[in-house]
Amino acid sequence: MLAELRHTASGCRTRRRRLITAYLFLTPVLLFFAVFLVLPLLFAVLLSQSHWDGFDLTDITFVGAENFAGLFSRGSTFLTPVLTNTLLYALGTVALALTGSLLVAHCIDRLRHQGVWRTLYFLPVVTTVVAVGNVWKYMYEPGGLVNGLLNRLGLGSVAFLQDPRTALPSVVVVQAWASVGAAVLVLTAGLKSIPRSYYEAAELDGAGQFTVFLRITLPLLRPSLLFVCVTQFITGLQSFALIVVMTGDGGPGDATNVAALEMYQQAFTYGDWGLAGAAAFVLFAVILVLTLVQLWIFRERRRGEAV
Amino acid sequence: MRRRRLLPVLAGAVYGAYGAGSTAGCAAPYRSGSGRPGDPIVLTLLSHYASEPLRSAMQRAVDAWNTQHERVKVVAMAVRFQDLLTTIMVRQAAGRGADIIHPYCLWVGQLVRAGVLRPAPPATAARIRHGFTRPVVASASVGGQVIGYPTEVQAYALYCNRRLLRAAGRHEPPRTWEEMEEAAYGAARRDRHGNTLLQGLALSRTDDSTVVNQTLALLASHGGSFLSQDARRTTIDSPAGRAVLDLEHRLITGGASDPGTDVMKAFPAGRVAMAISANWWTGSLRTTMGRAYRDVQVVPLPGPAPGNRGTLTTGFLMGVNAKSRHPRAAWEFLRWLNEEPTAAARPGAASAVTRMSALQMSVGTMTGRTADMRALAAAGGEANLAPFLDALEYATPEPNGPHAQRAKALLRKNIEEMWTGRRSVVSALRSATRQIDQELSREGTAVTARTPGTAVTARTPGTVVTARTPGTAGTRPERPGRPGRPGSAERLITPLTSRRAGAR
Repeated sequence: MLAELRHTASGCRTRRRRLITAYLFLTPVLLFFAVFLVLPLLFAVLLSQSHWDGFDLTDITFVGAENFAGLFSRGSTFLTPVLTNTLLYALGTVALALTGSLLVAHCIDRLRHQGVWRTLYFLPVVTTVVAVGNVWKYMYEPGGLVNGLLNRLGLGSVAFLQDPRTALPSVVVVQAWASVGAAVLVLTAGLKSIPRSYYEAAELDGAGQFTVFLRITLPLLRPSLLFVCVTQFITGLQSFALIVVMTGDGGPGDATNVAALEMYQQAFTYGDWGLAGAAAFVLFAVILVLTLVQLWIFRERRRGEAV
Repeated sequence: MRRRRLLPVLAGAVYGAYGAGSTAGCAAPYRSGSGRPGDPIVLTLLSHYASEPLRSAMQRAVDAWNTQHERVKVVAMAVRFQDLLTTIMVRQAAGRGADIIHPYCLWVGQLVRAGVLRPAPPATAARIRHGFTRPVVASASVGGQVIGYPTEVQAYALYCNRRLLRAAGRHEPPRTWEEMEEAAYGAARRDRHGNTLLQGLALSRTDDSTVVNQTLALLASHGGSFLSQDARRTTIDSPAGRAVLDLEHRLITGGASDPGTDVMKAFPAGRVAMAISANWWTGSLRTTMGRAYRDVQVVPLPGPAPGNRGTLTTGFLMGVNAKSRHPRAAWEFLRWLNEEPTAAARPGAASAVTRMSALQMSVGTMTGRTADMRALAAAGGEANLAPFLDALEYATPEPNGPHAQRAKALLRKNIEEMWTGRRSVVSALRSATRQIDQELSREGTAVTARTPGTAVTARTPGTVVTARTPGTAGTRPERPGRPGRPGSAERLITPLTSRRAGAR
């Protein structure tokens, strides 16, 4: 009996020691999150309901919902064109990147030396945004490569980044091009996980290439597509650096101004940290809602298939 | 066992030493200048002179001060101009603001409102008003109070490429808008694909300054102004404003201007016949154009009719941080830098110039001390600076109220929308007026740049507070050694309690 009790007590001590060790290992990460995530988050909550010039922490004045009201007041550019641009930018990026990466992944899956191809397509992902943006900026310029090609074809030049009608789509193309590599990596892995037997069965049944793609590849690739779709959409909604590099301050006019850039300018250029904080929360809400909608749509489809 | 205990102790000691070291490092700029007997005062100076030749020029001046002074030492820090406001903001919030700040005048209203900059002491302010030209003093003042020493000054004029104008059949630079337009249409060239080969008059859209300042300079040449007298609303939607935007619209639709081209590269490459820019460009062009710089001629900005005079002036100032622990020492350094004569402009000449004027001339810019600049220009032989020096006498200072940066950005966006055909001239002016007025009226507090010596009026909803500018009754002298809060006069201008009184 005593031995049993001793054994139980010893087991408890071991478990407690393990627990303490586990917490000790977790502590640095938790501290990191507390300092760099939780504290800034709480500060952002405070700022979104305050006025602060950004210079003196003792000068923070509580103003309630005034900043949020200011964002959506008449004459404010936040809803249109800033938030509209943000959504169009994200939507355009996802549409192009998803289509492109699906096509590329499908082709790569049938090639030899797949690693080489995947590396080639992944290169833009590891290249800095500044380099990518500047190279494309020069390509888009009136005397640049793209206009040179158009001129060779007998077409007139296009002021890609100078015309408000073409500026946003031009940047969207670059963002999509730069993010195709990461999507290709995920989708090729997804394609690999589809059992070959399905394709063999379809071949025996005499299914065509398009039918196989539509009826086998796409449905079985859905988890990978969901991941790519959600992550690309979030990246698109948070985009900032590429737009700054390619258009400076979201111009011409407000044609390429997006929420993240507007936040930066409100805070660091105009010294209105309250408005920037409120804009950050609106963007957070938009991202949350759109992500939930995407997850819900994909879940509904899965449920539908199960039925 | 001993080893096991030793390791955590060692790790703790290393961490502790690192922490202590980093804390000391962080606080170094503040702690090193305690000012106790035997301990030198160390002042920090933050400027945007981060690249050559600006950095070396500033360092030489600081080194000269440090050599001559035992008690007070100055440490110069520099960041790129694009990072200057952010750096001031972050350092100030972290309690590590530099003792002396060198901001762009456009931000001064914002910095005064936030209690970052301390107004100049009355005696210093009086000397600044006496020593510098009126527009320059106005741009370094907020609400009639001089905030600091005006340093780098920019005025706007017309840069002409004489070779290209001659090729277009013009042998004299334009003197009126009509002549300027004719010359622009005559010089412009495009290829069959619509690519611009040569611009007649370039309209720059590099940044807010290049977009707005050329428009505001043209506005001033027509006798117009950007803001009303009390700086509470914009007056851009006026006959003068319409005339300026109409002119720009005509130049673009007529093919004489292409805002898509980078003027800063196209002009030195000989692909622009005329451009409106500031005096800093002369130094840059001389370097980049080499022998071709002989073709560059700067002339006063033409007005609608012969003899019209008017342009815009912008600049920087050096002021003392409201949180500096040694404001007296900081102002003394600024007096030495900006007022003490350093050397004769020309060997053997009687006239001497201030250190700051010599510094600015060495980097191709100017101060608002026209006598200094004329002496230096004569010695240096830069004829293209003459129109800028003349302009300092009649130019309009760029408005610098608390929302000046935002107002400028809003005007820029509307100008660009007009340039790119998204808005008509009328629509752009209306939209700009609505947005800028909304911005200016946001907090109900107007901090205006006025003629020195007049009353300063700070309006909040329902109240009007009036104070006298320094040197007159009603203003208490600054209280040195009380860091952290602005003086009483500043509080009258921007009462903290009323900052958010006016709802958006």
